[in-house]
Amino acid sequence: MTGQTTGSARGSQPWVAVIAALASSLLLLFLAAPIGQLIGAGGAEGVRQFSRDAELRGALLLTALTATTATLLGVLGGTPLAYLLARREFRGRAVLSAVLDLPLLIPHPVAGIALLLMLGRESAVGGALLAGGLRVVGTPLGIVAAMLFVAAPLFISGAREAFAKVDARFEAVARTLGDTPQRAFLRVTLPLSRRGLVASAVVMWARAVSEFGAIVVLTYNPKVASVLSYDRFTSFGLREALPVAAVLALLALIPLTALRTLRGADDGAAP
Amino acid sequence: MIECRALSARRGRFHLADVTFTVPTGQYGVVIGPAGSGKTTLLETIAGVIPADSGSLWLHGADCTRQVPEARGAGLVYQHAFLFPHLSVAANIAYGAETPELAESVARRFGADALTNRPVRALSGGERQLVALARAFARRPPVVLLDEPFSALDPRRRTLVRREVRALHREWGITTLQVTHDFTEAGLLGDVAILLDGGRALQSGTPDELFRRPASPDIAEFLGAENVLAGTVQVLAEQAPDWLDGEPSPIAHGNHAIEFTTGPLTLYTVGDFPAGAGYAVIRAEEIVLSLDLPSGSARNRFRGLITEVATLGALTRVTLEVAGVPLISSLTTRSAKEFAFRAGMPVTASFKAMAVHLC
Repeated sequence: MTGQTTGSARGSQPWVAVIAALASSLLLLFLAAPIGQLIGAGGAEGVRQFSRDAELRGALLLTALTATTATLLGVLGGTPLAYLLARREFRGRAVLSAVLDLPLLIPHPVAGIALLLMLGRESAVGGALLAGGLRVVGTPLGIVAAMLFVAAPLFISGAREAFAKVDARFEAVARTLGDTPQRAFLRVTLPLSRRGLVASAVVMWARAVSEFGAIVVLTYNPKVASVLSYDRFTSFGLREALPVAAVLALLALIPLTALRTLRGADDGAAP
Repeated sequence: MIECRALSARRGRFHLADVTFTVPTGQYGVVIGPAGSGKTTLLETIAGVIPADSGSLWLHGADCTRQVPEARGAGLVYQHAFLFPHLSVAANIAYGAETPELAESVARRFGADALTNRPVRALSGGERQLVALARAFARRPPVVLLDEPFSALDPRRRTLVRREVRALHREWGITTLQVTHDFTEAGLLGDVAILLDGGRALQSGTPDELFRRPASPDIAEFLGAENVLAGTVQVLAEQAPDWLDGEPSPIAHGNHAIEFTTGPLTLYTVGDFPAGAGYAVIRAEEIVLSLDLPSGSARNRFRGLITEVATLGALTRVTLEVAGVPLISSLTTRSAKEFAFRAGMPVTASFKAMAVHLC
């Protein structure tokens, strides 16, 4: 019986294997080739230009700072939300989840327009902020707002998964051993979900760094790296845009490596 | 004391309903019941991990129904231990310990002190249970809730750890409630036994009461009663054939003379049970087999043919058929060999009227 099954499986395997290998290879080539070509064509020049192009250095620094600020804000507000969604059952949980996922689904220029409507000087919120001395549109604050809007859902979704992976009975035991909910969270849940949370923050940071559509609506100047590469391309053509784009692609390797390292050793949470 | 008064709680779709029982202070309660009957949910509700929907819970005389788990003073040990994997074994035991010295002493008593240098992930299931027990007892809680805490231990270690839990329970006057599937363990440890099924406490009392006087045929069968017979109860208050002439009343101390008819058999028993349909439960060890008609005082004596003899180590189960009604007797293998019981052999099964429990 087993022999027959194995035999028949063997008979169909070459076809399946060939098709799977071909499809995978083509997709891999499609994903890797443009980036490889970009780095190959502009990488060396980008690195050289990095030392003498103050605008590029400034854009990269601004990107890193705004993405880090947005990520910190996302972690601060997103962690309790993710915990709530992972642990508590309440009316409207599905609606809340859908609302949090919405920014991932709408086109990013649309997200920018929505933010402009809410934070622009004509709006109540934007007007109030302006009255308080905080201008959002056309400032780094606008960049942070755009990054936060499009990237925070990724953190919340990842953090929610990280919390859900930690069996609630760990917390239950900690409570019976005298911990308050906050203490149990800090002593048990947080350490057990740490890798997942950090990985989610890295994903959010990477997404914030790569954002263009929402930022360009809210704050064209000062320019973040993605806007600068677009600006160089439209103003001076491919040749001028290439080094900037190549440096951005190289920088993307940093969060990628961090993610792989974090996911390499999964904490898990076996009883 | 653990006192549940019509306690109800919900876990997902499972509903713990109107559970009522008491484990007096310093006593050892055991919860038995089939898989999915709500045993773990009951412990979690008592610990405060699951909120009670209705009813009330009293721990040592105080109403704890709405109290947070950390204020209840109830230690909880899960079957799967749930040791904190990011902490060392020593840190796990010391997590909520009253003092570091107590943590060390309790670890020694459970034999978990030899494990302190090993990472939690490298521990076997049994070792995890040892550490989980030490962690819960190191806090010295007035109430301990144990969910099958010995299930992963080898038989030798299980005996030792069970003895240690019982010793700590006595020394510190801890009120303990333990979930078990093992009826022997329930009998060995329990002062009070609670039978749970479908989220309801069907019966509670001493383990002996539960095993000897089950409240329903289902409970009897769950508890392993071998002879559960459906039939009709006839109270002999009027005829009173066994009461001596001149006695003022055939009824004394709530004990009525009763005849229970199942198929062609009529069993004689005493008790306080209404006439009509019912079940008779006779434990296999109460049925004595003999080759001839015995001359003892047992009121129930039936001739039958052995249909099966099954030896289980030092015990042997003999199934016989009496006028089409199967009866199972349990006796020592030594006796079974002495009498050379075998299928097809005619024997007499006898048991006292008091061995028949009606429900």
